[in-house]
Amino acid sequence: MSQVELSVIIPVGERSENVVTLYSIYRDAVARAGLHYEFIFVIDGHYDEITQRLKTLKADGEPLTIINFSRPFGEATAISAGFQNAKAELIMTLPAYEQIIPDEIPALIQACQAPEVDMVTASRRRKDHWFNQLQARMFNRTLGRFADFPFTDTGCGVRVFRRQVMDEVEIYGDLHRFLPLLAWQQGFQIQEIKVDQAPSDMFLRLFRPGLYLRRALDLLIAIFLSKFNKRPLRFFGLVGATATTVGLLGLAVLIFQRLVLAQSLADRPALLLCALVLVLGVQLVAIGLVGETIIFTHAREIKEYKIREIIN
Amino acid sequence: MTHTGRESPPDLSIIVPLFNEEDNVRPLYEAITTVMEDQGFHYELLLVDDGSRDRTFANARDIALQDTRLRVVRFRRNYGQTPAMAAGIDHARGRILVTMDGDLQNDPADIPRLLSKIDEGYDIAVGWRMKRKEKFLSRRFPSMVANRIIARVTGVPIRDNGCSLKAYRASIIKHVPLYNEMHRFIPAVSSVAGPQIVEVGVNDRKRLHGQSKYGLSRIYKVVLDLTTIKTLLNLIRHPMRLFGSSAGIAMMLALLILLPQLYTFLVTESFSLIQTSLALLLATLGIFLGFLGALCELIYRTGNLKLERVSLLSATIDNGISRPRIDKTEI
Repeated sequence: MSQVELSVIIPVGERSENVVTLYSIYRDAVARAGLHYEFIFVIDGHYDEITQRLKTLKADGEPLTIINFSRPFGEATAISAGFQNAKAELIMTLPAYEQIIPDEIPALIQACQAPEVDMVTASRRRKDHWFNQLQARMFNRTLGRFADFPFTDTGCGVRVFRRQVMDEVEIYGDLHRFLPLLAWQQGFQIQEIKVDQAPSDMFLRLFRPGLYLRRALDLLIAIFLSKFNKRPLRFFGLVGATATTVGLLGLAVLIFQRLVLAQSLADRPALLLCALVLVLGVQLVAIGLVGETIIFTHAREIKEYKIREIIN
Repeated sequence: MTHTGRESPPDLSIIVPLFNEEDNVRPLYEAITTVMEDQGFHYELLLVDDGSRDRTFANARDIALQDTRLRVVRFRRNYGQTPAMAAGIDHARGRILVTMDGDLQNDPADIPRLLSKIDEGYDIAVGWRMKRKEKFLSRRFPSMVANRIIARVTGVPIRDNGCSLKAYRASIIKHVPLYNEMHRFIPAVSSVAGPQIVEVGVNDRKRLHGQSKYGLSRIYKVVLDLTTIKTLLNLIRHPMRLFGSSAGIAMMLALLILLPQLYTFLVTESFSLIQTSLALLLATLGIFLGFLGALCELIYRTGNLKLERVSLLSATIDNGISRPRIDKTEI
């Protein structure tokens, strides 16, 4: 058997279509790229019916690897697990439902074979409900604005990348969403390709409020990690210094009123409020300093740069 | 041409970060080679290509294929000058490291004079551009102010922090933390190791090719970084002191407010809720800061920047066996 050139990882979770038709569609599209491929399905939870169908396919001689999690571990872990069992140099991740028109897949694979490209991401030309577009755009714009990330569809699960990318980028929890961002921070070259959205991807998505909160937190973490990675004091210090200033100004006003206007100070809640804000400010600055200390004392272990090659 | 790059580690590594300097690569290489061969040094030239988008890397590679004394480290993308310096220092194999700018504003002919200072026993020799060739108002004056501030705050009286031409004893600089935009403060940061620093007057030449990459806006950043570095240096020396003393102040204030309240309560059986809460708030802050101090001790303990190790690098040891290093006067 010849060398596998492309490993396709499909994490199967809550949202999945009929795997048999999905597999045949994906397989036909991937085959058109002309590479020797394998498929890795990672079943994230108890989906016995899906597992059974995949086993039948495998018995028919399809190049399948099936990884069954004992309980749901999340998409990022599923992708990592798939990656650890992938044999090829080139890795592709596809969602367990059609997100883009399958005809676009060969072009994505070919783009990633260019020597200077480490990762290819798909960006959907969206034609779905305006509310979907709005929330997706808000997410991506925020990322672009605050994390200086120039790509426009981080949420699209269709990605092709070299093995080295996942060797160096660790993803966990909900971070699979940010794989391109994290890879980009590591200095990998990313190319984004505009593709057409699949019709089955165009239903209206309304999530539970809890999910929006989680997404917002993810966004905050991604921004913090990319902007203030090595300079916590710039982040904590700014907020802390603002709070301290506000607190001090408030106190100054109160003292002025006490001394000049002879208003009683002891029974005014405003005094407590100002002191509270001041204390908060001092605490934030102090935490920023602790962060700086961590980085300063560990700086020789943390490499800030990634090397592409060394000559001689 | 002799090729001695691989066999034995060189005595000297010259580190030059490059960012979009395609026209300067060859002149730089030739200037350095001429000086080094004149002096008969066993050296290596380390070019760090900081993600240039022009032909900088291609030009450097072409030369490196013919001369193994030239090594090229290529970054994946542009990271900035400090990471480029750090990469050069990490990959250098020499006993003495020299850093310089890639824009030919530093004169390689000054390198031997820096080296002779290291031979005299200094740990860091810092270039000082005596006759700067830039505009006074937009470049030289701000840098004069910045240097005064840096010298005052860090206690390392260097007149020209902006000059990249410096020579270091490798054992010391390889232990100094270098990240963010710290390359401007290497002498200040390396003061954790207590090195002997000397200033050497060097030439400043006009830029021939390419664009200058700095402007006035850096003053603000310099001040911010400086405050951070100063605090860190203090924090590292006495982790508990900064947090401990601020915790003490908060506690004192709390007591100052609380004690009169307690007295009033005992005498009249009434007290001000606001004032008591204020005192308790301050006491909480004190406890919080105290614990943060303890946390800093812990961080220092697990870190890899150990003063007891670093201090030995620049110490002179006279144990009757090895010769103490040459006497030297601090600047």
